[in-house]
Amino acid sequence: MISTKKFLSSVCALSLGLSALAGCSNESASNSTEDGEKSNKPFELSIMATLHTPEIPDERLELLLEEKTNTELDIQWVPDANYIEKVNTAFATGTLPMAVSISAQELGTQFKQAIRDDQFWEIGPYLDEYKNLNKLKPKVIENTKVDGKVYGIYQGRPLSRQGFIFRKDWADKLEISTPTNTDEFYEMARAFTEDDPDGNGKEDTIGLSDRSDLLYGAFKTVSSWFGTPNEWGLKDGKLLPEFMFDEYMDTLDFFRDLHKNGYINKDFPVTSKKDQQSMFKNGTSGIYVGSIGDVQGLYDDATKLNPDLEYDVQNKVEGPHGEFGIWSIPGFGSIMMFPKSAIKSEEELKKTLAFYDKLMTPEMANLLLWGIEGEHYEVKDGAALPDASIREKLDREVRPYLSLEVGEPDTNGRYEGFAAYEIKAKAEELIKDNENYLINNPVVTLDSETYTKNGERLKTIITDATYQYILGQIDKKGFETAVEKWKEQGGDKVIEEYNASYKKLKNN
Amino acid sequence: MVEDKSIGSRLFNWTNITLLTIISLLTILPFFHVVASSFTTSAELAAKRFVLIPTEWSIAAYQYIFSTDTVFRALGVSIGVTFFGTLWSMLLSVLTAYGLSRKDLVGRRFIMFFIIFTMLFNGGMIPTFLVVKETGLLDSYLSLIMPVSINAFNMIILKSFFQGLPDGLEESAKIDGCNDFGILFRIVLPCSMPVIATISLFYAVTYWNTYMHAILYLNDATKWPIQVLLRQIVVLAGGMNYDGANYTDVPPPEQTVKMAVIVVATIPVLLVYPFLQKHFAKGALLGSMKE
Amino acid sequence: MDNDLVVVKKNSTVIPKASRRTELWKRIKKNKFMYLMILPGILYFLIYKYLPMYGLIIAFQDYKPYLGISGSEWVGFDHFKRLFSEPDFWFIFRNTLLLFVLQLVIFFPIPIFLALMLNEVRNQAFKKTVQTIVYIPHFMSWVIIVSICYVILTLDGGVVNGILESLGFQKINFLLSDEWFRPMYILQVIWREAGWGTIIFLAAIAAVDPQLYEAARMDGANRLQQMIHITLPAIKSVIVVLLILKIGDILELGFEHVFLLLNASNRNVAEIFDTYVYTTGLQQGQFSYSTAVGFFKGIVGLILVMFANWLAKKSGEEGVY
Repeated sequence: MISTKKFLSSVCALSLGLSALAGCSNESASNSTEDGEKSNKPFELSIMATLHTPEIPDERLELLLEEKTNTELDIQWVPDANYIEKVNTAFATGTLPMAVSISAQELGTQFKQAIRDDQFWEIGPYLDEYKNLNKLKPKVIENTKVDGKVYGIYQGRPLSRQGFIFRKDWADKLEISTPTNTDEFYEMARAFTEDDPDGNGKEDTIGLSDRSDLLYGAFKTVSSWFGTPNEWGLKDGKLLPEFMFDEYMDTLDFFRDLHKNGYINKDFPVTSKKDQQSMFKNGTSGIYVGSIGDVQGLYDDATKLNPDLEYDVQNKVEGPHGEFGIWSIPGFGSIMMFPKSAIKSEEELKKTLAFYDKLMTPEMANLLLWGIEGEHYEVKDGAALPDASIREKLDREVRPYLSLEVGEPDTNGRYEGFAAYEIKAKAEELIKDNENYLINNPVVTLDSETYTKNGERLKTIITDATYQYILGQIDKKGFETAVEKWKEQGGDKVIEEYNASYKKLKNN
Repeated sequence: MVEDKSIGSRLFNWTNITLLTIISLLTILPFFHVVASSFTTSAELAAKRFVLIPTEWSIAAYQYIFSTDTVFRALGVSIGVTFFGTLWSMLLSVLTAYGLSRKDLVGRRFIMFFIIFTMLFNGGMIPTFLVVKETGLLDSYLSLIMPVSINAFNMIILKSFFQGLPDGLEESAKIDGCNDFGILFRIVLPCSMPVIATISLFYAVTYWNTYMHAILYLNDATKWPIQVLLRQIVVLAGGMNYDGANYTDVPPPEQTVKMAVIVVATIPVLLVYPFLQKHFAKGALLGSMKE
Repeated sequence: MDNDLVVVKKNSTVIPKASRRTELWKRIKKNKFMYLMILPGILYFLIYKYLPMYGLIIAFQDYKPYLGISGSEWVGFDHFKRLFSEPDFWFIFRNTLLLFVLQLVIFFPIPIFLALMLNEVRNQAFKKTVQTIVYIPHFMSWVIIVSICYVILTLDGGVVNGILESLGFQKINFLLSDEWFRPMYILQVIWREAGWGTIIFLAAIAAVDPQLYEAARMDGANRLQQMIHITLPAIKSVIVVLLILKIGDILELGFEHVFLLLNASNRNVAEIFDTYVYTTGLQQGQFSYSTAVGFFKGIVGLILVMFANWLAKKSGEEGVY
């Protein structure tokens, strides 16, 4: 029982500590180097990064990275699913590292206020000083701005990977050409359901398999085909949410018909991505709307079950109005931000930025994404081909590091992935083609306090009503009631606030 | 014991055994599916969706997860934390529970209320993190143990079992010159093996399932226990993180790998139970001690 | 050791009233080792449970993590007002309460029955096998359980609907309807937790004096009578303690589980406090609001525990405090 004394003293220490913690404890993550010895001493940098792989990262690449950038890295890996809890805890306890990656979604909600309260460095004015960072796309940077200022270095993502994948062999057998408008798309879904595309004489197929995701599943992409705006749109000079547009209603009716006739899986509102893909792979369904880049993984598995299977991809589907458009994301997945609690001086900030500047060279970008040439990948036709026979090694040594990437292939000069499967190569082409038809979300950089505070809850009202309408559980009137509910519970305010914010931005 | 051989008793036995067999089958089937899935190919899993006996056997999933030492190390961490954590928690809980089982203890009701209160209110993630930080446990395995040293629920169960012991036991020991510690360790504990085994199991399972604390308190990924890896794989295999803005070029782990990790993370804790089971039949001990 | 005793005495002398001081003092002194035993436990609760409780303050603030508690703005009862004036408050409250009642009335007795059944098994090998099997599901995460249920119950080629159809019945929309949510929820809870729940009752049964059974048999009691008159009374106090603690947990219905089952078609019956807090609070870092909801849950739990404990004591049971 000697420990009692220790216990008591630690209780005292604790209460002292806690009173100090009432504010934010100040812990400098690293000391700024003295002027005299700055010559070759590696710069110490701590980073919090998302872990996307099932393996714990191996240090090999980190060491190479350190050597090539003359940096001493301290990377805190956090599993993807719990990243935000970890960031919040670190934020509240003053233990944030010097560089933190924040997802696009969180940037728009809870971090806005923190940025306004001066918790992060504004880096806009410094970007010109770095020849690589300076190459970042202004259009995407625009989307990362808060109150017109730049606070982070973005990690790029293709603007729109949406389209659909379908069973080419089924289409050929039923003599259906690749759909180019929504009517033909509907006809394909019908034929794949009713005309026995697999020729086994049984009614065991469905046209389209979808999942419980209105965004990255089929719904939003199809709504783009119909010409629905992306989240918000202008009507008579006023910003309104997408579901107040007729095109949204048209999309709803389209899906309601698909569902009523059984051309889409009945339980799609509770179907997981895994199950959706299973249906598409095992020959239950013939159409998959979503990210067309998925075709590679789907094909790899599906051909093991049915070697004769053929897929094809398509992006352009015109709506009844005779035009094609496709919704886009803001062009970035996350941004690296630099907390003032960890980076104390401008000098340190500049060194940190210099590190990220180096990451944007082709050499470093390739290292982060593909690993070591000749060992982890080889270059084929100017693209990187990872060695598929060492998947576990890649998962462990290379893949975790891609969450450190900044920019995109256009700007950091890294290789694109080599597509051995021609349809995958076609998909990549179509993803580029999509950039000519983008429908942008106009509120990305606008501001609504009510949305930040209550947006998720409000969104649920509409999401629920959308599913219920498609399932035939409510009618048009029911949907309108939901929209009214949305307006009453704060939606009206959101509209007001976004429009005010929009006017302010336009006048500037 | 004399066995009752009447017809009623036999009927009773047969109904009972039949029912239990049905219940067991219903319970085991989904787990069977998980095990079977881990030994097949992801193509077959996609084709059938519910697999009980694989037509195409494969150990690729296990080869994948055991190709590096990650899983071994994580299992090692979990076993260590579970073992020492359970010991520590049992020590503290037994002491507290026994102390509180004495009915003439002044302030007993107040202390019990004080403990139950913590089951209903908690300060939340951030203040707890601060205490863990201030007690110097960050990045140490102790951070997975100290903050959960006593589970109030488990402690209360122990206490109510100790209370149920006949008073005569303690009295006779006192006459023999034992102090309270002596009574606890020489008399009370040996008589309470069923509940000791039960609560040890409860603690062991809690420690085995440690997950959130590891992510919050351990910055060094090499210290993560198996559950963090398990979650990571289950979440990643769900595939939702590969959409839109979160999209990365990494293909999600195969479904079979997910199943294999579940099996690997579950087997060790399943093995604990049969070892503890023998203590559930020790009720007879109590009877003999009373004489 | 001496030091510790001083601490104990100091702490305890606060309690007694002046008139009975010496009498009490004697009682305390008699149990000095007992106080010593509970000291580490008390310290644990103080440090890791009570110290962080200052965090509850943020329920009355507009808390911003980086400003800390001292820097955040006070808003009084605003968050509670918001909670009670939520248009959905009452239906969420009702849903939570109904699921709780299901847990209490349907789930709670099942492990007891199962334990009694297992106790009647004479073949030890069979008994051990069954015990081990029924306890396995506890280790399967809800994600897996829910996804298996989806595969079995879906309208799109699920086994159950396949059987229904081949028998000439109508297909049942298990997943996308509000009337099937509650049965599904409770069945999944039973499937996962019933076997695990038996362990504690088996431990209680193991502590029953076998002489009691022998005596009962001499009196001609059959198996069922023995079960009702000996086994059940012997484990009654454990049942009561578990029941009280369970009641305190009223608003903890397993967030992950409900969240996974929740969808557009069953939200009117499936939305509970935890899932509600998740969509309104955690997703957007609204620490204060979710703390306020947690606080509210704690108070409801506390009132119910106190009531249940009072009831237990009134009917001659020991209770939990």
